[in-house]
Amino acid sequence: MIRLVDATVEYPNGTRGLDGVTLDISKGELVVVVGLSGAGKSTLIRAINGLVPLTAGELYVDDRPVHQMNRRQLRDLRAEVGMIFQGFNLVDRSTVLNNVMMGRLHHLPTWRTLFSLYPSADLDIAAESLERVGMLERAHSRATALSGGQRQRVGIARALAQQPKVILADEPVASLDPPTSHAVMQHLQSINHSLGITTVINLHFLDLAVTYGERIIGLRDGRVVFDGKGSECTPAVFEGIYGRSLTSGDTLSDEAPLG
Amino acid sequence: MTTPQVPTRPVDWFRRVGTIVVVALVLWSLLDLEIKWERFVDLPADVWRVSVLMFGQMPFSETGKLLAALWESISIAWLGTIMASLVAIPLSFLAAENLVGRPIAWVTRQVFNLLRAVPEVILAIALIPIFGLTPMAGVLAIAIGSVGTLGKLFYETAEGIQPGPIEAVDATGAGRLQRLRWGVLPQLLPEYASFVLYRFEVNIRASAVMGLIGAGGIGNDVAQALRFKEFGTAGLGLVIIILGTIAIDYLSGRVRRRIIFGSSSASLLKKPVAVA
Amino acid sequence: MTTPATAVELPAKSPPSRFTIWGSIAAVVLTVVTAITVEFSFLEIVENLFRRNLVVEGLLRPDISQIWSERSARAFVETLQLAILGTASGGVIALPLAMWATDFGNPYPALRATVRTFNAVVRSIPDLLWALLFVTAVGIGVLPGWLALFFFSIAVVSKLTADTLDGIDRGPIEAAQASGASLTALLKTAVVPQILPAYTSFLLYGFELNLRASAVLGLVGAGGIGARIEFFRGRGEWSEVWGLVLMFFLVVFLVERLSVSLRRRLV
Repeated sequence: MIRLVDATVEYPNGTRGLDGVTLDISKGELVVVVGLSGAGKSTLIRAINGLVPLTAGELYVDDRPVHQMNRRQLRDLRAEVGMIFQGFNLVDRSTVLNNVMMGRLHHLPTWRTLFSLYPSADLDIAAESLERVGMLERAHSRATALSGGQRQRVGIARALAQQPKVILADEPVASLDPPTSHAVMQHLQSINHSLGITTVINLHFLDLAVTYGERIIGLRDGRVVFDGKGSECTPAVFEGIYGRSLTSGDTLSDEAPLG
Repeated sequence: MTTPQVPTRPVDWFRRVGTIVVVALVLWSLLDLEIKWERFVDLPADVWRVSVLMFGQMPFSETGKLLAALWESISIAWLGTIMASLVAIPLSFLAAENLVGRPIAWVTRQVFNLLRAVPEVILAIALIPIFGLTPMAGVLAIAIGSVGTLGKLFYETAEGIQPGPIEAVDATGAGRLQRLRWGVLPQLLPEYASFVLYRFEVNIRASAVMGLIGAGGIGNDVAQALRFKEFGTAGLGLVIIILGTIAIDYLSGRVRRRIIFGSSSASLLKKPVAVA
Repeated sequence: MTTPATAVELPAKSPPSRFTIWGSIAAVVLTVVTAITVEFSFLEIVENLFRRNLVVEGLLRPDISQIWSERSARAFVETLQLAILGTASGGVIALPLAMWATDFGNPYPALRATVRTFNAVVRSIPDLLWALLFVTAVGIGVLPGWLALFFFSIAVVSKLTADTLDGIDRGPIEAAQASGASLTALLKTAVVPQILPAYTSFLLYGFELNLRASAVLGLVGAGGIGARIEFFRGRGEWSEVWGLVLMFFLVVFLVERLSVSLRRRLV
């Protein structure tokens, strides 16, 4: 589903977000990416939907060459790739429903979205997405009235409303407390299992990565230094990925040891 | 054993010098101004006398005419504010560094500063010979005077746009127009609307002043009344100005709060929701 | 997760969500109605602006020779002094007035309501109107000007201070109340230190506004450069008028520069 071949992203100041990354992610996989800040997690996620262009190498999503796409094609691609953000990125003063309908933006003519006149078919898609994350009855609440966990669920619903083939999540739980983080990760996991959508998640907390990630990819300085099952991940493995010994800030809950 | 001493407090020179300068300036002003101190003594009696004249016998028959004049003042303020907004919004984009770059932004900002510096009254007395003693002079004076302040508020907001929500719109594959509508405007419009309403509140007062110098509105009626010693009418006019201004402030404040914070009822749920 | 109905249906839309639409419609209607009231006409604006007139001609050739005139210089100084006095006197009273309008600064509801009403009334009267009222009461000169600026300063500074007081940290207040402090002691130790930097900044801002206001007070006879402006305006000598306005700009500009750098040091 997602294939990178020797992909490199070099920023204007010379740093390499990605350095010769070759990866193959199959349809329906749930992949968790870990690594230090600046190791390339964000770059990888944003390269997949073309928000960050490759400086060199190839990238194929659904067998389509992203590295050769023009603006129009990129937009078509992004319509099929849902993205979830650390900061939720909702329109604060809009309702939950309007936020979720943003997932249908690509599929609707512009005039409809300018005036919020949505066809019932699209409203049904939105309703189903909201139902799946348990936010249906808050459909008309303002985004500002929601808690962090609720907002992220709306973010997930928005991505689902696109009826995507791929879901990308950039540190989706970094701003949330432990129980909420687990709830959100469980939503992502159940969506992957029941709908079979290929999912790539950036995570900061290693215990969460091990719990929910069937396949874990470790990035360091823009290169893949680990690619394997969660069960293979011991603290030593993680220290190899991070290049330093682990601290308490690397796990969500303080007591549970890794491994 | 010696008892511990509280260390001496270090001298804040800035504060000390500042206070001395301020006190000196105040004393200088007090003594240098040619204030007729005898009038100071008569002050309470004078104020009482005039107050009785103004509020003792208000001719309530004039209420209708004065309310119409108040409406004219409100119109002058509203139109002036709207005109200023329509000009200030596009101009403010020219003043945002993240949109047009430093040089152009700097020039536009200086234009705003210049406009902000002019007292509206001066603008009005300049416009009256051109437009006559009509409300239009007041509208234009207020409009020109407000462009500067509104422009500044607008561009400061434009520079503070968060990239996150815009990225989210891009990530759904939306086009440029939709990106503007869903990523940029929701961040800008509520703030802009709130600024416009706030400026409207300020301009209500300005339009009363416009009237005092003849550019239409209830200020005109009050000034005329005082000139012809019709103190009752003047008093009634003053009361109407006060009540009208307070009412507008209150309403405008409510609307502004609603724009920024949303109605509280929409966020309360009747049924309990599952946590997280 | 909540149990769904048989078909997934959106809950009914609640009316308040149409606020934006109704609000925009109301704004447009208001604009149209007010335009009719003042007999707005684009044509008229354009016509009038492009006619020959003394005002614009004077603007293009401002006469700054007034800088040497003793009377005008005196008037400028008067303007400055009025602004200083007005800000100092009104600003000082504004602080207690703002504090007495809060629930922690005034435990008596009736008294609090009185202070709040007084504040609202003072804030609703513009500067020039104050000036006109006092000129009527005590005659022309600088005294009515000072009185007008006194109330004007109260209006400006107390509003800003009151808004800040709304958001202060209640913790120290609670501590003072718990230790049984008197109201004055409470205000002095728990409230004033918190708002002092902001309050001083407001005083400076109030001074800027006072300066601009005191320039025009003279138009109604309350002292300052306004009288000189009115003098030349009455004679149609617009070059002199704009010359004075230009000089006034300069003074305001200098004061603003100073004020901005001082305010930065405070915050």
